[in-house]
Amino acid sequence: MMTLYVHRQSWLHRQPAGLKLLVLMVTSVALYALASLWTAGAVLIAVILAYRSLGPAGWSYLWVVKPLLPMFILIFVVQSWSQSVSAAILMLLRMLTLIWLANLVTLTTRMDAMMDAVMPLLSPLRRVGVAPHRIAFTVALFVRFVPVLMAVLNSLLEAWKSRGGGRAVWRLAIPMLINAIRMSDHVVQALAARGGVRSPETPVSMVQHQ
Amino acid sequence: MTLTIELNQVTLKRDDQTVLSDLNLTLSERRIGLIGNNGSGKSSLVRLFNGLLQPSQGHLQVRGHNPAEGPEAMADQVGFIFQNPDHQLIFPTVIEELMFGLRNQGLSKSDARERAEHCLREHHRLDWADRPVHSLSEGQKQWVCIMAVLVMNPAVLILDEPFSALDLPTRQFLTDWLLGLPQQLIMISHDLDVLAAFDRVLWLEQGQVRGDGSPETVIADYRAACNRAFSL
Amino acid sequence: MKDQALVQMALYAALVAALGLIPPVPFVTGIPITAQTLGVMLAGVMLGPWRGFLSMLLFVGVVALGAPLLSGGRGGLGVFASPTAGFIVGFPVAALVAGYVARLLQRQSILIAAGIGAFVGGILVLYVFGIVGFKWVTGSEWLRSVQVMAVYVPGDSVKVVLTALVAQAVYKGLPGAVATRQA
Repeated sequence: MMTLYVHRQSWLHRQPAGLKLLVLMVTSVALYALASLWTAGAVLIAVILAYRSLGPAGWSYLWVVKPLLPMFILIFVVQSWSQSVSAAILMLLRMLTLIWLANLVTLTTRMDAMMDAVMPLLSPLRRVGVAPHRIAFTVALFVRFVPVLMAVLNSLLEAWKSRGGGRAVWRLAIPMLINAIRMSDHVVQALAARGGVRSPETPVSMVQHQ
Repeated sequence: MTLTIELNQVTLKRDDQTVLSDLNLTLSERRIGLIGNNGSGKSSLVRLFNGLLQPSQGHLQVRGHNPAEGPEAMADQVGFIFQNPDHQLIFPTVIEELMFGLRNQGLSKSDARERAEHCLREHHRLDWADRPVHSLSEGQKQWVCIMAVLVMNPAVLILDEPFSALDLPTRQFLTDWLLGLPQQLIMISHDLDVLAAFDRVLWLEQGQVRGDGSPETVIADYRAACNRAFSL
Repeated sequence: MKDQALVQMALYAALVAALGLIPPVPFVTGIPITAQTLGVMLAGVMLGPWRGFLSMLLFVGVVALGAPLLSGGRGGLGVFASPTAGFIVGFPVAALVAGYVARLLQRQSILIAAGIGAFVGGILVLYVFGIVGFKWVTGSEWLRSVQVMAVYVPGDSVKVVLTALVAQAVYKGLPGAVATRQA
């Protein structure tokens, strides 16, 4: 599955996931506790510079905020008017810093490394019958299902268009859901035929579905 | 020459890959089969005919119409049947499934219902009208898919591996029925026997025509090629 | 927790992901609406409160891990620092409440039960999270936060109706698939 992780050997990549998450959390809290424009600005510049470690095209990753730009502008204008321009600038600096810093952690940390770092926090779920290896299995199954559902939706969409279907495409949610539910029944049967998700070694690959 | 499908230097690229390269074809035979390995471009080629895909270069005309207008505009001319009936059936009952295309063509609900019922009656299946589609067998479902398209009265029927999930007797039944229809048929099939009664078979490989002619010759050539070197 | 539950949860999480890949549709108000929260409301109504909750927690968790599954191909930790972070965090609770309300109303027609459940969970509760999140992230005032978020309500209300219609249609075909309707 496509992830946002960027495959490189940068110094950020080499840091442990847990450490990066900790730094992110501390920075978030600190930024909201402090109110100095200069500190916020300095941290923002540091984060932007850190993107360079992703390679010569590193700064292009900063465009992750592009879809949010209209909203940023709106909020900036509203805040300047209702509070003050400096409050609006501070808000913008904080938001950009945290979005970019958080995004940087995502870009430099593999999904499995993140999951390993976070697993200990999920151990309370054992008490409701969800052991860590079962969580890992469910995550893998989820990831497996997404392209399959996409393919079903695409096929339905082709059939819809080919018969001149108009804009009421929401109707396709019904056959899509029915197909998906049927598919999950097959998966459950396939799992049962192989002993179920009992051990940490149960691979998702053994789960066959069309 | 409005009874043909014509391709003129058609190239199709998807995701930076060349799927079809420089095809020049005139398809006027009544029954045309399309064979080739997976990834040869067969599915993409037939999707050009009803506008689901647009060529990157070149022109094509389907019975005088330009598929560039999109599949909705082509739906009157070209009916398309896909591989898996479960991924084509959108409505809960058979009659509603048949009515869908007619409603899209502008018929009122009552006119569409009448036409759909007439269609079912002609095929001695009026009792299927209110049956839930998911209570039907795979073969019956695919039959409904074909009916849902035929009821719109297209001039051309395109079938993309319509029989993959069906057993032999069902395949034979549906093939015989399709061969008796007035429409021009263009069918992709991995089941080579089914294409024996067709007028022309095209063999596609890596986006180009490797074989084109009578079923006997082309299918024999294809089989021979398959029996030679193969690696996954 | 049974294997079947795990598979169902994975499935509805995947449904929300698949719906997120559908491009936003422009609505009459000019605000584009995405299909994603339809899946959130369906997860609650179809799976029930607890499994709906866990299913959406799974979705949000995998997004946090770095999967670009939110509408527009967004994902990773950055989304939790953006103005819409509240909504995303609210997905699991929205599903929980939608499922709980739908279950409470199971003696009513499925259209009513699912519709009201979807409204309470997918609009009321979700927007509370969305507004609070917006206020925290941007430091705006409450009134402003409500005003900015309110523009999305008409479009999202359409999804409430769709949730009810879809739940009803699926219930007709597969009655066992709607967990909020078992006595």
